[in-house]
Amino acid sequence: MLEVKNLHVTVGDKEILRGIDLKIDAGEVHAIMGPNGSGKSTLSYILSGRDGYEVTEGSITFKGQDLLAMSIDERANAGVFLAFQYPIEIPGVTTMNFLKTALNAQRKARGEEELDAVRFLKLVRSKAKPLNISDDMLKRALNVGFSGGEKKRAETLQMSLLEPQLAILDETDSGLDIDALKVVADGVNALRSPERSMIVITHYQRLLDYIVPDVVHVLSGGRIVKTGGKELAQELEQTGYAEFGADAA
Amino acid sequence: MTGAAKTLVENFERERKTLPGASGWLDVSRAKALAAFAEAGLPHRRVEEWKYTDLRRLLDDVSLTTAPDHLGPVDLPATAFEAMDCYKLVLVNGRFRADLSSLAKLPKGVELHPLANVLSEQWAKKLIDRQSDHDGATRIIDLNTALMRDGMALRIRKGVRLDKPLHLVFLAADDGGAHARHLVELEEGASATIFQSHLAAGASSYFVDQVSDIHLGADARLEMVRLVDEGAKSFHLSSLRAELEAGADFGCFTLTMGGQMQRQQSFVRFNGEGAVARVNGASALRGRQMADTFCHTDHAVPACASDTLYRTVLDGSATGTFQGKVVVQPDAQKTDGRQMTNALLLSREASMNAKPELEIYADDVQCAHGSTIGELNKDAIFYLRARGLNERDARRLLVTAFLDEALDRIAHDGARDALRAVVANWFSAEGAAT
Ligand SMILES: Nc1ncnc2c1ncn2[C@@H]1O[C@H](COP(=O)(O)OP(=O)(O)O)[C@@H](O)[C@H]1O
Ligand SMILES: [Mg+2]
Repeated sequence: MLEVKNLHVTVGDKEILRGIDLKIDAGEVHAIMGPNGSGKSTLSYILSGRDGYEVTEGSITFKGQDLLAMSIDERANAGVFLAFQYPIEIPGVTTMNFLKTALNAQRKARGEEELDAVRFLKLVRSKAKPLNISDDMLKRALNVGFSGGEKKRAETLQMSLLEPQLAILDETDSGLDIDALKVVADGVNALRSPERSMIVITHYQRLLDYIVPDVVHVLSGGRIVKTGGKELAQELEQTGYAEFGADAA
Repeated sequence: MTGAAKTLVENFERERKTLPGASGWLDVSRAKALAAFAEAGLPHRRVEEWKYTDLRRLLDDVSLTTAPDHLGPVDLPATAFEAMDCYKLVLVNGRFRADLSSLAKLPKGVELHPLANVLSEQWAKKLIDRQSDHDGATRIIDLNTALMRDGMALRIRKGVRLDKPLHLVFLAADDGGAHARHLVELEEGASATIFQSHLAAGASSYFVDQVSDIHLGADARLEMVRLVDEGAKSFHLSSLRAELEAGADFGCFTLTMGGQMQRQQSFVRFNGEGAVARVNGASALRGRQMADTFCHTDHAVPACASDTLYRTVLDGSATGTFQGKVVVQPDAQKTDGRQMTNALLLSREASMNAKPELEIYADDVQCAHGSTIGELNKDAIFYLRARGLNERDARRLLVTAFLDEALDRIAHDGARDALRAVVANWFSAEGAAT
């Protein structure tokens, strides 16, 4: 599904990712853990194509295609989805309208028929309900005045509606209390499938109690310094990131 | 006198005898107004209220000789409000065309006429001859008083409601100047909805100069929705004077898009307590278009509320201007006055001048004003593209949303949808303009 080879990324003059290798097969869930500033969000942005990041070395292949050659929206339409650490406020665009526009943009790009208002509404409601997202919330401007938990639930709703091939969750747990965390985790788990891969980025092990990964990587100083099974997350919970040369978490 | 002012004065001298009301009181008013206009000349940059729009220079580029009567067929352009059932009053080159209008079956108590028919009536005289504070912005109304040829005169008697919207269609069929005056008198408790469309129908280089004089009696209600979508080489000048008695409710929304240059002035004055004025608008401009909005609200009495939101989107090397002033007189306690203007610049060459002002002489008031000028949020564009929208659609969604927040203020559902569709068309025309 995804293969990252010797990826070096700079922002301005600063090298932030310093040789990342990562291979994720279809159906796998990989966790990327690491202290603040280790480059986790940078990796998520480089995968989704955000401006301002320069790849100085290395490659990324997604479903056999050169991901770095694709534009932001081409990647999205090919099935890359980033659940943002800090979702952006979109004043004046209701969540509902946004979801419809996004879904239909992707359907159109894939040569599928656009959904009409009635079918769309039915679909959205069925996906919103398990996430405790009310019609009222769908009528509000996207992310504007949303609480931390509402933002993360809205991101999860987008993901479940867009059904990506590769979902990248950047600190989807931050700012959530335990109940909200469970709701979001249930939403994510419902999407696990043999065809879908996930990268779950987190600072804390807590989220991984609910979204159990197949593989855990530790990112520190722009490099993957350790890779292991799900037990690695528990180990980190005990020892912290200090042994990896980072400041205490 | 410059060339443009000279042409306008000559128009008057040539037409004076044939203008409506030539034998009555109006001729005296016209002569007085012309003399004042001739003395002041056209406003220019050193007049504070025209700081960003030098009429003296700009009018040199447009044909000012009075456009001819146009009695023949007109290519009626489709109007945004077409789908709604309305009374319709059509002016071509500023003159009433009965054959194109539909004014049948007006409710009892509603008088709707071309201007020329009401000039002998006292209510009309009172509206036309009304004193404005003669400042840099209102002074230009003199030009209209001297040259106005026709227009719409609407009077609604006490407590009567106009049962469907009245659509005033103002078409420019031939090059030249058109000077029109509209009178609206709503007596106590009367109510009406008026749509206005300003469109080119064959003319290229032309000048529209219209003044609307509005008086709302106690508890009267007027909702106006205006679309100013003139031809690419036109100059549109509108002045709207509204006076509100106690408890009256006035809403006015103006969407400006098509012309080379447009100046919209509004002067709202509260005469009685508890009245409300919502004067809102939006502009979408590209190429070398210019739009200048001047918005003056006079809280002369206590306990009135005024609210203004103007949103401007500027692409290409377009220029937008918003000058606003809310004055709260010493007696006007419990005033609620709000004025906000926001502009979105889509290109580096576009520019916006914004000058919202508050002048407060009372102490127990709630007033707020502000202005922002910004660009599209890059993070928002990334976010939308990361969900699959291409760059063009992402930008379009954000710009539409920006304008929508102003359009949301249109109380009439059908009119709001109609103007939303006009905005959507504006995007489709992208690339067509230079
Ligand atoms: N746009 C940027 N400009 C400059 N430095 C940046 C930018 N984005 C990230 N960085 C720096 O790169 C490093 C990694 O940041 P980030 O990827 O956000 O880490 P994480 O998500 O692991 O906390 C940090 O030192 C951060 O300050
Ligand atoms: Mg981060």
